[in-house]
Amino acid sequence: MASSGLELLWVSAPQLLTGIGRTLGISALAIVFSSVGGLVYGVLRNLGIRWLDTILLIYLEAFRAIPVLVWLYLFFFGLPIFFGWSIPGFWCAVLVLSLWGISETGEVVRGALRSIPRGQREAGLAIGLGLPGLYGRVLLPQALQRMTPPMINVFTRIIKTSSLAVLIGVVEVIKIGQQIIERTYESVLIYGFLFLFFFFVCYPLSAASRVLERRWSHS
Amino acid sequence: MNLKTALVFPLLAFGLWGSVAAHAEGYLDKIKARDKLVVGVFSDKPPFGFVNEKGDYVGFDTDLGRRFAKDLLGDEKKIEFVVVEPASRIPFLQSDKVDLILANMTVTPERAQVVDFTHPNLRVAVQALVPEKSDVKSLDDLAKKTTIVTTGTTADIWLTKHHPDWKLLKFEKNSESLQALANGRGDAYAQDNLVLFSWAKQNPGYRVLAQKLGDEAPIAPAVKKGNVELRDWVNTELATLGKEKYLLKLYDQYVRSQLADGTDPAAVIVEGGDWKP
Amino acid sequence: MSALIELSGFSKRFGDVPVLQDVDLQVKEGEVLVILGPSGCGKSTLLRCLNGLEAGHAGHYRFVGRELAANTDWRLVRQQIGMVFQSYHLFPHMSVLDNVLLGPVNVQKRPKAEARQQAETLLARVGLLDKRDAFPRELSGGQQQRIAIVRALCMNPKVMLFDEVTAALDPEMVKEVLEVILDLARSGMTLLIVTHEMAFARAVADRVLFMDGGRIVEQADPETFFSSPQTARAQQFLEKFSYVENMPKRNAS
Repeated sequence: MASSGLELLWVSAPQLLTGIGRTLGISALAIVFSSVGGLVYGVLRNLGIRWLDTILLIYLEAFRAIPVLVWLYLFFFGLPIFFGWSIPGFWCAVLVLSLWGISETGEVVRGALRSIPRGQREAGLAIGLGLPGLYGRVLLPQALQRMTPPMINVFTRIIKTSSLAVLIGVVEVIKIGQQIIERTYESVLIYGFLFLFFFFVCYPLSAASRVLERRWSHS
Repeated sequence: MNLKTALVFPLLAFGLWGSVAAHAEGYLDKIKARDKLVVGVFSDKPPFGFVNEKGDYVGFDTDLGRRFAKDLLGDEKKIEFVVVEPASRIPFLQSDKVDLILANMTVTPERAQVVDFTHPNLRVAVQALVPEKSDVKSLDDLAKKTTIVTTGTTADIWLTKHHPDWKLLKFEKNSESLQALANGRGDAYAQDNLVLFSWAKQNPGYRVLAQKLGDEAPIAPAVKKGNVELRDWVNTELATLGKEKYLLKLYDQYVRSQLADGTDPAAVIVEGGDWKP
Repeated sequence: MSALIELSGFSKRFGDVPVLQDVDLQVKEGEVLVILGPSGCGKSTLLRCLNGLEAGHAGHYRFVGRELAANTDWRLVRQQIGMVFQSYHLFPHMSVLDNVLLGPVNVQKRPKAEARQQAETLLARVGLLDKRDAFPRELSGGQQQRIAIVRALCMNPKVMLFDEVTAALDPEMVKEVLEVILDLARSGMTLLIVTHEMAFARAVADRVLFMDGGRIVEQADPETFFSSPQTARAQQFLEKFSYVENMPKRNAS
């Protein structure tokens, strides 16, 4: 007799956990890469070096204009066809979500740096700080508070967008849910589970954001 | 045409380029050297490709894949299933990410240009599913209604081509389309009749319009364009399996209970790869 | 005696607009120089060129005998030139003490104990030792500006630049800051001060520079400058201030 209700969730737990593992794995890796990459991008764009800015702008516009889905397709299907390079679906998703994530977090970092009064930069330079010291000790610490809410926003969007990976063959948690629904028609139960899953992953990020914001406010 | 469908065309171009450059020999050796057959299947389209309670990939198409692995490599476990969506079936072949697609792919001339189909294992026609009480009696009634389709399917392509003025509501996945019909977001769902028969058996209150949209078409496994080795192997295999009526066994195991009683298996499966239009 | 700061033919433009034109200037060690002029005359720009925050386009700049071109590595030079800004620009995410110690410890790599001792001495000198653990947002403008001065002094600079440091303060806090600067002048520090406080300029300066349109129009000792300015433009400039100082009563008969 096929299971239903909570028993179904229990029986499907191994599959769901595998899917959760993939969703969280892709998201966590993409979030980490986006954070680091975004800091680098934001600082680099803030330096005002013309040729560097141009390259970064091209990168930014590419990921703004072209949907993540198309990038997934290009990297997953296009690379093998055009160049013979094959990237497994999971890593392809991490790569594309990271590149997209960096384009978003990078602009957040840049915006936060730009919102710091210009005098802070001058005061830092005036006591003899070089660029690493200026950014590391004066600008980035102040940028942290301004960056936090939009960064968390990008992170939750990365988590939600990870479900696009199903189209390149990655069986993440939403796909697992749909597989179960197709077999059992328990859509309310399964979507309810998915709702709670995403809520309990994303909500703590929001809450953490508020805590950090308060902690880092200096003015 | 949505973005994904548009993407198929550049991939088509390179698929053709790639196929000219492809070497036909060595494909079977490659599979044997890898000791694993990689097959693209559906995971949310019972009874052809779905996931059971234990999490195993099963179904009419999926189990056929296992039999292929057994007969080619000696062990039905020497198989890797890759989950595909209707619109990604061809890209998966073109990019060599799978050896074979066993995902209910209807044979069309356009698709035959970019992939090589083997002999068919199933047959299908596109029909329309409507709620029991719907006032839609024939296909012409759909001209004034909203028809749901899943992107990339034969229904999608046929309707877009032959009735561009009809209002279509598109979804990425079969499960979403069916959900939309159940929620009343559309008046009818045009899809391969097998899918509809199956779902209608489970969900009373719907009926399938008898009229077919287009002609009956064969459904066949597909390989990368130029991979004549694997294609010919599958054809021979299907003929062999036909002698033991293997497809009928799979039909009895997975399909019979899903369709209305009294459905003739021969209207659904193609035994031995033997299909004439 | 060689000059600490020497500018010869120094010029700068923003695009096509000339901001500094042919400036010749020599500042001796221990001198207190006050720069006056209408807004837009280039006095702030001049100051900012001295520590490399702005670059000149022509002419020469020598600091302690060393020629400094626009592509100099300014980090070392800036350790010897202290600058205090109109909006103080203390680092809001650090305590007062950390603000003061950032330069000595992280840039000059001095031992923390020694730097801390100097920092506390200086803070005591401006009367703010008890605020060493406070954060800038808890302090008034006058207090923040005094700490900004301490932050610059703790680097042991050879010269201090003051860019309109009381212009953003509430009037009742101006006095406490000017007193600190007077104290510095008395102790023999070389100071370049841009200000609008005329009485203060008169009291503290060894020499007054009047600038207009990017040029030094007049220079003199303060007494001469304020009582008998030589050029017409200087006279017009001073007249505006004396008008305000001696405004006629509203209902004068």
